[in-house]
Formats: sequence, structure tokens, C-alpha cells
Amino acid sequence: MLDAAAADRAITRGRIVTLLGVAALAGLYVMAVLYTPTERFQGLVQKIFYVHPPAAYAMQLAFVMTGIASALYLWLRDARLDAFAEASAEVGMWMGAIVVITGPIWGRPVWGTWWEWEPRLTFTVIELLVFAGYFALRSAMREPAERAKFAAVVGVTALVLVPFNHLTVYLFASQHPTPVVVGTKKPELPPEMLRAFLTGFATFTVLYLGFAMQRYGIGVRRLLEETADAA
Amino acid sequence: MPPDNGQYMVSAYVVVAVVVLLYTASLWRRGRR
Repeated sequence: MLDAAAADRAITRGRIVTLLGVAALAGLYVMAVLYTPTERFQGLVQKIFYVHPPAAYAMQLAFVMTGIASALYLWLRDARLDAFAEASAEVGMWMGAIVVITGPIWGRPVWGTWWEWEPRLTFTVIELLVFAGYFALRSAMREPAERAKFAAVVGVTALVLVPFNHLTVYLFASQHPTPVVVGTKKPELPPEMLRAFLTGFATFTVLYLGFAMQRYGIGVRRLLEETADAA
Repeated sequence: MPPDNGQYMVSAYVVVAVVVLLYTASLWRRGRR
């Protein structure tokens, strides 16, 4: 099931995709700084929106993929699914770091505060803490199959948090902005802003894929080493 | 006139670039044979 050559291939391909993602991020910066208009009320700080929501989406995408891979692991018991679930969760944590750092940088000039314990922000912290627990659990267990099974249960359970976090801005009196582009109404953005915003989402999708592929390959290698050590 | 807060945008962009490059470097190192 686990294949060293396939792990090497995943790492190599992941590196190429990651480099494309890094180049796309540089392109996104140029696009955002030079080709998008400055918002009248928020000023230049509004341009944080070209990275913050895309990073939040990549975080949610990563955690959803962990949940799906975890559910499939519990069904098929294929170690590759466990390696992918772990890889995706790790990428989700890094994307989460971007989200919780860039959010307050926007909040300070616009809300007048770095942090507010309002539903969306609080729930994002809870989501990241649950995944920190996922890694704590993994590091506390040595036997690969046992570790994969317990981690998969956490991964599937945490899947519930993703749609709930998305809905916090609708369910509660949240201070956090609601989606502008993916909403019930037609997007009311100048085309330059919309283009940069969508480029941000594409960029973070590419970065997610590159990171997850590399981390998956590294995870498979580790599992192979563990199996070799145990034998 | 829009408010003068470009320093926040620059800080956020620098943070994103640093996090992305740090993780890229970390994966590169861990993926070496």
C-alpha cells in the first residue's frame, strides 16, 4: 500500500506546484497593489481582503479534506488516507495562522481593536484548537494503525466545525463581515477588485495543493520508516 | 480622502509572505533525502 517511489514523486510534484503558488502570490501582490482601486472608506487596508478570505477558505478546504480522508480511512483502513489527512490538517494550521494574524491587522484600523471575542473569531480559534488537539493526539500515540484510527475519529468529528464556522456570521450577531462575492446578491465589486479577489482564491488553492502533496510524501516516508523500525 | 493606513496592508502582506516562505522552506528541508 505504501510506496516510497510514489512518496518521492508526490514531494517532487508538490515542490513544483508550491513554486507556482509562490509565484502566483507574488503576482497577486502586484495585482492588488498596482491594479486594484483604493476603497473609499477603508483605504489601503481593504487590500488585506485579497489574502485573508482566500487563506480562510484554504484553511477550511484543508480541514474538510482531512475530514473526508479520515472518514475514508475508517472505512478502507488505507494508511495513505491517514497520511493525507495528517498532511491536510498541517497545511490547515499554517493557513489558520495566516488568517488569525491578518484578521487583527485589518481589525485594528477598521474596527478599532485587534481582537473581539465575537462568534466568527471565537469559533475560528476553537477550530484551530481542535486541530492542535488532533496533532497532540497523534504525537502521543506510537502504533501507526491505532494512531490513525483515533486521529481519524477526531478528523471526522471536527468536520462538523467547518460549516458551523461558515454559518456563524448568519446565525449570531457577528461583527465579522458576511461574504460579498459568494452571497445571495450579485457581487457589487469593481471588476479589478473581483479579479484580484478570485486570483487570491486560485493562489491559495495552488499553495494548498503544493503544500499538501509535499507533506503527504513526507508523511508516507515516515510511515515507511516506522514500519521498517517495527519489523 | 480614504484613510491613510497603508502600513497595515504592508504588514499583512509581509506576514503572509513570511508564513508561506517559512512553510515552503520547512517542507523543502523535511522532504530532502
